[in-house]
Amino acid sequence: MLSLANLDKVYPNGAHALDNVSLNVEAGEIVALVGGSGCGKTTLLRLVSGLEAPTQGTVSVDGEVISGPHAAVGFVFQEPRLLPWLSVAENIGFGLEHLPASERRDLVEEALLKVGLAGYGSRWPRELSGGQAQRVSIVRALVTRPKVLLMDEPFSALDALTRATLQDHLLALWEASQPTLLLVTHDVEEAAALADRAVVMQPRPGRVFADIPIPLPRPRDRLSPGFVEAKRAVLAALDGSLSQPVGASTKRDSQAPAGSWW
Amino acid sequence: MSDMQIAQKMTARTPARAASARIGGGFVYGLILPVAAALVYEAAFRAGLVQARLLPPPSRIAETLWKLASTGALTTHVVATLLRVGLGFGLGAVAGVMLGALTGSSTLARRLLDPTLQALRAIPSLAWVPLFILWLGIFEPSKIALIAVGCFFPVYLGVMGAIANVDRKIVEVGRAFRLSRLKLARRILLPAILPDTIVALRSGLGLGFMFVVAAEIMGASEGLGYLLVDGQQLGKPDQILAAILCFAVLGKAADWLILVATRPLLSWQDSFARSG
Ligand SMILES: Nc1ncnc2c1ncn2[C@@H]1O[C@H](COP(=O)(O)OP(=O)(O)OP(=O)(O)O)[C@@H](O)[C@H]1O
Ligand SMILES: [Mg+2]
Repeated sequence: MLSLANLDKVYPNGAHALDNVSLNVEAGEIVALVGGSGCGKTTLLRLVSGLEAPTQGTVSVDGEVISGPHAAVGFVFQEPRLLPWLSVAENIGFGLEHLPASERRDLVEEALLKVGLAGYGSRWPRELSGGQAQRVSIVRALVTRPKVLLMDEPFSALDALTRATLQDHLLALWEASQPTLLLVTHDVEEAAALADRAVVMQPRPGRVFADIPIPLPRPRDRLSPGFVEAKRAVLAALDGSLSQPVGASTKRDSQAPAGSWW
Repeated sequence: MSDMQIAQKMTARTPARAASARIGGGFVYGLILPVAAALVYEAAFRAGLVQARLLPPPSRIAETLWKLASTGALTTHVVATLLRVGLGFGLGAVAGVMLGALTGSSTLARRLLDPTLQALRAIPSLAWVPLFILWLGIFEPSKIALIAVGCFFPVYLGVMGAIANVDRKIVEVGRAFRLSRLKLARRILLPAILPDTIVALRSGLGLGFMFVVAAEIMGASEGLGYLLVDGQQLGKPDQILAAILCFAVLGKAADWLILVATRPLLSWQDSFARSG
């Protein structure tokens, strides 16, 4: 289980990015983090990944506190961030250097096959389309079999059609090892298509605004009433989070006068 | 796969045909202008349109070159010059890469060393010559020291800048995969700075040729620079031009060697120059 306990993050420049965020994610659960720009979603992921240290609070995976980049946690960045001097296959095998070459090759081949890029192993990253590059970056994080996979708006730079295809790819990949998945998105449809739960955040300072379960069976039919209803619920919460008088600490005690936010 | 194997694979993957076409094709284009100019001048000379006392025609320069070559003198001069450039460039480049890597990767080292090195850089390299001669004598060591100093700064600056410019996002990938400092340097920083480092080495080598001329003009008994001075003192413009021609060919060839030797390491690059 992934747990975030009372996370606070104040950047050196004084930006208060997160304020007392607590969240528990069951093993194998898919959670979508949704929220307006600047509400601390990226910050939250970076704290969980150990790339950034919290000002206060702890992150733990199965009881083990995360204090730096950890083998149990994989990260997929918003941009593919492939290493341009390595071939596609070498990029995927980047985190597998400790394995013998033959084992590594097999894992990489299998990964390429799974994301529909069989035969692309010897290409350079510059020879890939944006969607292909992002698929490579997803399997690069997944081949090491992390318990927790963090994804920061991984599909935001892609067109709607490619995005839907990659969401299906992602679910198929997730199916194989079922890691805990924490996915930042600003796309309500993406949250409804992938997540077991959507956590809506609120800005200045970043807090959890609402936690919305999406108990739909998979594969999900994007036209079914349940799906449409889930999207509507997330969207409503998102609207609420943005129209909240900023500065009120939670929606329960939003008694502060509306004009006092600044 | 180790990075060595990667380098080999890169070589294997570069289509040899495309590479040779690029080199060969460029070569032919590059020759058009100088050859045409030489032919025009030669024709003008034959037609009696120009006085050839100060600017001898290509045929006479070729003749001088041939004479120098057949007595073996040319080889002696060329070897002397190349040895000086090679040694000076080697010393300067190694020092430049090492200090550039140090100041580029450590803030403390940069704060300590860079101001001093920048101040030294502001001194025209030729200003060191009297001191080098006092310290090292008038023979080879002082010449090589001058060339090394000349080569050092562009390499130092290039490597330091290359490290400072490595994309933070790419370094973060290394951190996310929990690379140690050493592995981060080997697997991320080194390949990332390679292109800029090669550019720095090329400009360093260019300066090496510049300073070898200075060193040889100031006093040498062999070398292409000596041919220049000798030609001036004895009034042989054809010899001066022959030496200049040798510099052009050697400088270009040395640069081309660096380019060809490193091209396999850079075949991954996605840049404007490659797409042409
Ligand atoms: N490195 C940093 N240094 C200082 N402040 C930062 C830094 N990174 C983020 N912030 C601030 O922290 C807050 C949260 O930023 P964060 O990047 O986590 O938002 P986000 O929810 O990911 O936004 P978006 O949807 O636009 O990506 C913002 O106010 C931002 O200005
Ligand atoms: Mg973000």
